[in-house]
Amino acid sequence: MGKIFVVKTQVGQEENVANLFEKANRRTGKIHAILAPKELRGYIFVEGEDIETIKTVIRHMRYARDVLDKEVQIEEIENFLFPPSAVANIEEGMIIELVSGPFKGEKAKVTRIDDAKEEITVELLDAMVPIPITVRGEQVRVLKKKEGE
Amino acid sequence: MRACRKCHILTTRSTCPYCGEATSEHWQGYMVIIDPVNSQIARQMKLKMPGKYALKVR
Ligand SMILES: [Zn+2]
Repeated sequence: MGKIFVVKTQVGQEENVANLFEKANRRTGKIHAILAPKELRGYIFVEGEDIETIKTVIRHMRYARDVLDKEVQIEEIENFLFPPSAVANIEEGMIIELVSGPFKGEKAKVTRIDDAKEEITVELLDAMVPIPITVRGEQVRVLKKKEGE
Repeated sequence: MRACRKCHILTTRSTCPYCGEATSEHWQGYMVIIDPVNSQIARQMKLKMPGKYALKVR
């Protein structure tokens, strides 16, 4: 099995560096997988036979900066492999605040949750007529568990 | 690029060329599997085929 290491990249070039590793592997072999999670900026995980191969590869690679000496255990990157759902902590009836989009800053009540799409439907609290709006789970911040609590 | 809702492989097509599932343009996290037999990451993700994958598809 391969060993996993952290490679520092130029911010914004994570996917690019992942592809450069794949290209380099055609020459060197010994690279097994590359992981560029969205949550990490300026870092990716590279799994290879040994750290020496990775060190050699990045020496002439654009956008790659360094490799950290410490080997990463697979358990340590599980959160990146299986990212939690954006609606995991949201329930119907909760009061939320919209943190982006055209209704940014508005408070609303959650009326429906779509787990597959990670979207929620809300009704704005200040609206004269409650119109359902559907937004992405990342677009909201929970204010209260339930109305009145 | 689009990602298969089932196997997460990245493709330009609207249907996955491997499992026939619909693909989605909403995906995040990037993963390249080169040597699935020797990769802990591939084993953890139950991926048996080399390729480029999304970590999350919706
Ligand atoms: Zn598929």
